[in-house]
Parts: sequence; C-alpha cells; structure tokens
Amino acid sequence: MELQKIRELLEKYDAGETSLAEENALREYFQKNEVPADLKSYGLLFSFSEKNKTQKMQREVELPSQAKGNKYLWTAIAASIIVIVGLFFFQNKPMEMNHSDLGTVQDKEEALQKSMEALKMVSELMNEGKEDLIYLKEFNNTKDKFIKTE
Amino acid sequence: MRQQAFLEKINPVKDKMYRLALRLLISKEAAEDATQEVIYKLWARKDKLKDYTNVEAFAMTTTKNYCLDELKAKKNNNLRIVHQNYENNSISLQTELEVKDEMLWINQILNELPEQQKIVFQLRDIEQLEFEEIIEITKMKSTAIRVALSRARKKIRESLTNKHNYGITKD
Repeated sequence: MELQKIRELLEKYDAGETSLAEENALREYFQKNEVPADLKSYGLLFSFSEKNKTQKMQREVELPSQAKGNKYLWTAIAASIIVIVGLFFFQNKPMEMNHSDLGTVQDKEEALQKSMEALKMVSELMNEGKEDLIYLKEFNNTKDKFIKTE
Repeated sequence: MRQQAFLEKINPVKDKMYRLALRLLISKEAAEDATQEVIYKLWARKDKLKDYTNVEAFAMTTTKNYCLDELKAKKNNNLRIVHQNYENNSISLQTELEVKDEMLWINQILNELPEQQKIVFQLRDIEQLEFEEIIEITKMKSTAIRVALSRARKKIRESLTNKHNYGITKD
C-alpha cells in the first residue's frame, strides 16, 4: 500500500470512521514498514493496543462451589457408618461372655455350700412370702358361708 | 446450566472483562475482584443467561456497569482505588525499555481520559470489536461512540507527539 493511501486511512482513523478491516490493514502496515517520523505516534498506538490485547487475568475464577453440599453428604455418610459400626460392636459384646463372668466356682465343696446357701435363701424368702397367704384363709371361710360345696 | 457449561461460556470472555475492568479501575487487584464479582453475578442469574443470544456483550455490559458503580462509590466516599501494579524492572535492552516506557506513557494518558472514552477505546482499539457490539455493550449511540473514539485517539497521539518534541521546540 502506498503511503498516500495510508495517510488517508489514518485521517479516517483519527475521526473514528475506519472499519475493523481498515484498522487491521493499518496495523499490519505499521508492523512491516518503516514510517516517516510524523507517523511514529500511530505506530506506538497500534503496538500498544496489540500488547494490551494479550493481557490475561492471573487469578483463577471461583464459583460458589457445589462441592459444599457434597462435603456435608460425605460427612453424613461417614457419621452414619461410625454409628452403625459402633452399635454393632456394642450389641455383640454380651454374647462373648466368659465362664468367670457367670461366677462359676471351681471347688466342689465350695460349690455345694454356695448352692445350699442360695437354695436356703430362696426357701426362706418363699416362706416369708407364704406367711402373707394366711389372709387368704379368711377369704375361704367367708366364701364357705355362701357356697355350700357338700 | 451446570458449572462446567457456564465456565466454558464465560472463560473466553473472562480476560476481556478483566482488561476492561483494569482499564477503568487501573488497579490489578481491583480489576480481578471486579471480574470475579461480575462472574458471580452472572452465575447467580445463569438461568436468565440462556435468553441472551450474546452472552459476551451481556457480560461486558455488566462489567462496565459494575466498574462505573465501583468508581462512583469510591468517589462518594472520597476514596481512590490505589493501584500497586509494580512491574519488575529486570535489566533489559535499552530499546526494550524505551518501548516499555512508551507503553507506560500511553497507559498514563489513557488513565486520564474520561470513562466513556476509556471504554470505547478499550473495546475498539484493544478488543477490536465491531461498532454494533460496542453499541450493544455501552448502549451509546453510534455517533457518540465515534466521537469518543476520535477524541481518545487524537488525545493519545497528541500527548505522544508532545512528549517526543519536548525540548526540540519547533515554531
């Protein structure tokens, strides 16, 4: 492109009338050709805009994460697993009792004595309870007055 | 819309949004915050996003409005967004430094332009969008866009020329 035409385009450019295609042609011309001193400012302007176009944002864009819901979900799952496993262990514990837990006595003599004691205690308590049954006789006596069983 | 689909839609636009935010807010930190915030907003309205045929334009409009609101809020509170974009000035060739210097200089000039001109210049000269797209994003009239663009371009070139002729004084 001849310089005369470039000057015309530059005038249009100054007026804000150039199309994108024309502006690109100008940029290309200034990149490839030496221009007269009075046009240097255009060249600087063009390389400025070229340079600035490559600027990029350094920071990563973050969105309010959907993972937030997931995070709680996983915590919930972990918590329920712990609870279930815990319950399982606690319920199984009584099943694994030892003989010693039952209070079994190994010595025969002692065992006899202990069982006697236990049986005695039971019978004593039984007799104690039976004493209260005397009142029931009174009930029978009264009943006999009305109902003859002979 | 799932997150994955949303991100696929927004990712190609993300850097454009960031650059626009950076142009307006100047501070990298503030621009990143703004972009993040706008993407949150879009995500919250993701169901409506389907209705927009041009997601990019909608995202850019939202970014623009958000940044302008941000600037207004800061102005009302008498605060300024302070930027800390320190470049690491590693030793480089003299010419490279000069170019860098010019680029910083243009940035400086751009920072002093009115917001509308910044936006239009950013969208047209840097993002190279069609006028129709810029109209959709800025909701400005075509003529107003061209005027703003023309002013911005002339202003930048003027400052550059003045800087280069400084001390040479040709009357």
